[in-house]
Amino acid sequence: MLADARLVAGKDLRIEWRSRVGIGQMVPFAVLVLVLFAFALDPDRGILTRATAGLYWVATLFAGLLAVQRAFALEAAPGVREAMRLSGLDPAGWFLGKAAAIAVQLLLLEAVLGVGVIVLYAADLQGPLLLLATCMAATVGIAAAGTLYGVLAAGLAVRDTLVPLLLLPVLAPVLLGATRASEAALGNGVGDGWSWCGLLAVFAVLYTMLGMTFFGTLLEET
Amino acid sequence: MTTVLAMTHAGYVAAGWIATVGILGGYAFATIRKGRRLSRVVPPEERRWT
Amino acid sequence: MTTTPTETTPPAPPASSTSSPLTRVLGTLAGVGVVLVAWLGLVASPRDIVQKDSVRLIYVHVPAVTWMYVAVFLCAFASFMWLRKRTDGWDVLAASAAELAALLTGLGLITGMVWGRPTWGVYWVWDARLTSTAILFVLLLGYQALRRYPADPQSRSRMAAVLGLLLVPNAAIVHFSVDWWRGLHQDATVSKIDVSIEGLMLFTLAASFVVMGIVCAWLLVHRFRVGWLERRAERHHLDAALADRQADADPSAGVAVGGPSS
Repeated sequence: MLADARLVAGKDLRIEWRSRVGIGQMVPFAVLVLVLFAFALDPDRGILTRATAGLYWVATLFAGLLAVQRAFALEAAPGVREAMRLSGLDPAGWFLGKAAAIAVQLLLLEAVLGVGVIVLYAADLQGPLLLLATCMAATVGIAAAGTLYGVLAAGLAVRDTLVPLLLLPVLAPVLLGATRASEAALGNGVGDGWSWCGLLAVFAVLYTMLGMTFFGTLLEET
Repeated sequence: MTTVLAMTHAGYVAAGWIATVGILGGYAFATIRKGRRLSRVVPPEERRWT
Repeated sequence: MTTTPTETTPPAPPASSTSSPLTRVLGTLAGVGVVLVAWLGLVASPRDIVQKDSVRLIYVHVPAVTWMYVAVFLCAFASFMWLRKRTDGWDVLAASAAELAALLTGLGLITGMVWGRPTWGVYWVWDARLTSTAILFVLLLGYQALRRYPADPQSRSRMAAVLGLLLVPNAAIVHFSVDWWRGLHQDATVSKIDVSIEGLMLFTLAASFVVMGIVCAWLLVHRFRVGWLERRAERHHLDAALADRQADADPSAGVAVGGPSS
């Protein structure tokens, strides 16, 4: 299973590396979202600083949607999914591979956005370890849920409007947890950031297990 | 009757109850109508409830 | 090659419906019950000391929300059973329960907001219960969108089944996380229903709960049968279309068929 996961992840990441869609489109899009928020929330009034954590994760979520849709577009060409299915790939491994590829892309995006937020919003990083843990846990959760719901809608022609509608409500707790934890890491939150990180970890584990369980069912031949 | 009209927050109470009856009633009406329409098309042996 | 475009379905059965002795009984009970509860709720029961007459909205709000939870669990259960048994009945049940749940959730949110305005002064608060209900509503809308999607019915049923099964865990996660979050801010738990309700008010609440259940059961039975008929109609059209195709390919077969009905 893990060998299959490595195979699928490697394939997806290699395609990404060669096509540069992630770097070329996802990252500028997310940075653009950050910039737009600065227009919407006057930087001089302090709102932007207080909202930094939330805006960071909203931008990441939107970019995450793009990553999920891209991941399934890779296999949308006629015959590709059948070929992969017939090749005897373990569905759980296939799921893990896809999710891993999405997670890697998202982590890179978050790193860039993190720099963007420090530069553009004058954010002050006080708890780097917490932030790192938060990013890891949140990203795994986003990637796992995204892969599960992505494949759920993948068989449909116009998946682009359905995936956000299904995925974003599901990811609401991740947004909540990641924002609260990041706020704590940036020094302006209430409560214990590590507890929120724990919630994110639980979500990530839960959705990884759900994904491994149901991916096979959703890939079934009709 | 004057007791009813003298209700406080009458507007809210009315809105809530009308919404309830309206939404559930409308759904009931639509479902029954669809059932009638479909029943005309499907032969009786496919049904298992009459 | 040319076939007369006449009705090929067997002589139209006497126009009937999804009714049966069961639904007539349920329907009558529901009808009488609704009138009874309306009278109790709006006229006979006293107004609350604190909430005044806005308490009358509890008699629609609480039953709607309670049966919403039942419908969601029913959908999850039916989805699970379909994944195991793969029979039409479970699929139609899941779809019907989800539709009813969406309706009840919307209704619960509306009545809740309308109750909240005179009681708390605002239409909405971001507490665990309301927030998770709103998220559940969006999830149910997503389920409806998925169900209506032009796609191969088998795949659609499969996707809907997984989604239906995940409704409960998703709503639970949202509820828990928002609860935790709002707990940090020590918000007053204003959305908790006052349990000191008693006497005629308690009776009215219990009656409205039962009546709403009967109404929901009645709606569910009809909706289930409509869904069942839809499946049969699809197959019927498919059969007619296939027979038509065969006749087109082999006109000498002598099978009298017409075009597929609209």
